[in-house]
Amino acid sequence: MTEAQNKVKVHVEKVNKSYGENHVLRDISIDIAANEVVVMIGPSGSGKSTFLRMLNQLETPDNGTIVVDGFDISDKSTDINKVRENIGMVFQNFNLFNNYTVLENIMLAPVELGKMDKAAAEKKARELLDVVNLADKADVSVNSLSGGQKQRIAIARALAMSPDVMLFDEPTSALDPEMVGDVLEVMKNLAGTGMTMIIVTHEMGFAKQVADRVVFFESGKIQESGTPEQIFNAPKNARLQEFLSKIMHA
Amino acid sequence: MKKTRKFLLVVVLTALTMFGLTIDAHAAKVPNYVITTDATYPPFDFQDKNNQYTGIDQEILKTIAKREGFTYTLKPMSFNAATQSVSSGQADGVIAGMSITDERKAVFDFGTPYYRSGIGWAVKKGSSIKSLSDLKDQTVAIKTGTSGADYALSIQKKYGFKVTYFNDSDTLYNDVINGNAQATFGDLPVIQYAVKNGTQLKVMNAKSPIQAGWYGFGVQKGKNAQLLKSFNKGFAAIKNDGTYDKIVAKYLGASAATFTGDKKANNSVIGILKANDSAFLKGLWQTLLLTIVAIILASVWGILLGVMGVSQNAGLRGLSTTLIYIFRGLPLMVLAFFIYIGLPSVIGMKIPAFTAGLVTLILNEGAYTGAFVRGGFEAVDRGQMEAARSLGLSYGKSMRKVIVPQGLKIMIPSFINQFIITLKDTSILSAIGILELTQTGSLIVSRNSQGFRVWAIVAVIYLIVITLLTWLSNWVEKRTRA
Repeated sequence: MTEAQNKVKVHVEKVNKSYGENHVLRDISIDIAANEVVVMIGPSGSGKSTFLRMLNQLETPDNGTIVVDGFDISDKSTDINKVRENIGMVFQNFNLFNNYTVLENIMLAPVELGKMDKAAAEKKARELLDVVNLADKADVSVNSLSGGQKQRIAIARALAMSPDVMLFDEPTSALDPEMVGDVLEVMKNLAGTGMTMIIVTHEMGFAKQVADRVVFFESGKIQESGTPEQIFNAPKNARLQEFLSKIMHA
Repeated sequence: MKKTRKFLLVVVLTALTMFGLTIDAHAAKVPNYVITTDATYPPFDFQDKNNQYTGIDQEILKTIAKREGFTYTLKPMSFNAATQSVSSGQADGVIAGMSITDERKAVFDFGTPYYRSGIGWAVKKGSSIKSLSDLKDQTVAIKTGTSGADYALSIQKKYGFKVTYFNDSDTLYNDVINGNAQATFGDLPVIQYAVKNGTQLKVMNAKSPIQAGWYGFGVQKGKNAQLLKSFNKGFAAIKNDGTYDKIVAKYLGASAATFTGDKKANNSVIGILKANDSAFLKGLWQTLLLTIVAIILASVWGILLGVMGVSQNAGLRGLSTTLIYIFRGLPLMVLAFFIYIGLPSVIGMKIPAFTAGLVTLILNEGAYTGAFVRGGFEAVDRGQMEAARSLGLSYGKSMRKVIVPQGLKIMIPSFINQFIITLKDTSILSAIGILELTQTGSLIVSRNSQGFRVWAIVAVIYLIVITLLTWLSNWVEKRTRA
């Protein structure tokens, strides 16, 4: 949020979430601007994935306000399906639809939601397959793909709806090491197009390279946020220092 | 997919049209009564070698109807179901070798007593049992709801025997012949007719019927006075002109082969098949019709229950769980009796046996289907729903496009299993008088006493149909996998 003229894409204010006794998010507030790439880091169970899933209401907050694209999604009267059309999401486990081919996976939402007719959707799907370097896989069953290929198809599927925010929930955590590079490459290119991206990841190298801002979650709180430079080279928060020293030695 | 839908539609429409036609046919003729009878009660009620219902009762009824100018639709079923159908208002009258007792007079109005009968008892030919006192600690086979059964129970303590119940005479006799039970009590002329027909029993009191009493034609108490009047008028007439005596003599005097077909036809499987081919085909058709319509409608209902079971709405989930709990918990036969005999007296509307049987199957098989459908949907990875929702698809669309197709694939083996169970369960519906394959077998055995051959034929027919059904299902499964 360095440039004041940047439009606020995501506005989060005083959000709390508990599962029974377990208070997973405490008073989270953050604003994310259009075209910004924000990377969330932190230890497992720190609440970063829960936070990400709240931005398209796969989880609902106990209280607080979440505004995405000008829609208050914490308000029950908001048509969440409409808002979700503009928020793409990529999951750790890909979640490609097993009952469809690659092409059908990408075409399903635009066609079903009346965004495009079949011909237009297929044209767009093939373009997207080119973007993720999998044009030759259009007609195969998704079960025949490797993890890295699946994740790139999942990104293409999300992009087919032309979203203006993309959420990534640990997109490379379930991949074999040699697959990680291809997926990060696609994400880097996407960031280059000016897409607003919010990414939960453990890939620190990627965060340094691509993020406009890095946010450190711990114990359900944002402990520190700043440029990659500030976070990785001059961390102030004691827990962040501890976290970084652990992962750098690992 | 479209072709399948069209096919289903045709089947359902055909079934509905058939019900419709039955109802129309009833409405056209006046006065037309529904008369129930015991399907296996020779010499009073049974099917002859041409698969026509005949016997002393049937000839009396036919003659009287002709004289008095009314028509009737005959509904053969078990004795118990036949009497209960009338007492519950499902049918207008019952003629089934029914003894007039004080207890029954409380529920039925009887016409002029038409046949003097009494209770006889019989043992296996060559049995060492000589008198009632020899029955101590032995087992006595009786037919549910008969006077013979009442009498046996009244002396049970005195002679210290156990009882076992049956719904049709032939199975009962075979139980005594096979030695599972040692004696039976029943209406004397009926046992005598069976013995004459070759059943290996010995009647112990041929000359001295116990509790001699009268058979009567019954209608629901206080109802159908006109029918009763016609019956009495006609009966007086045929008694006077000698027709009645001729009918009785025809059945008690004639040799059994006159009605059961000659020995040669009954001595081989092929002979039995040839003599009864149209009966077997009709029975098979009823079984197939019940199975196909029930499979389709129970699947639709079960899928609906399953979808409700994974709904976001807690009320719908509760409703699904409750319906599955109730209809999976009820034995099929109890449900069939409840719908066919119990329900009509409450809702004041007759339910045809086929419809009652179909509804029974749909509710029961649908509940089992609902349970595995719910399980199948729950077995689809949660991430599939999340991915669909995150793209902006509604819950309903996500279910239809993503969860249901994957869930159904998981469920295919369960569906095939349920289809086979449904086919077999149709045989239980013979209890409410649906003339399907099993009931057809009962009727033929009661006539020709060839239990082993007839049941072997019926068993093979079931196995053939089940094999075909399994092949068809496997073929469908393979195609959906590809």
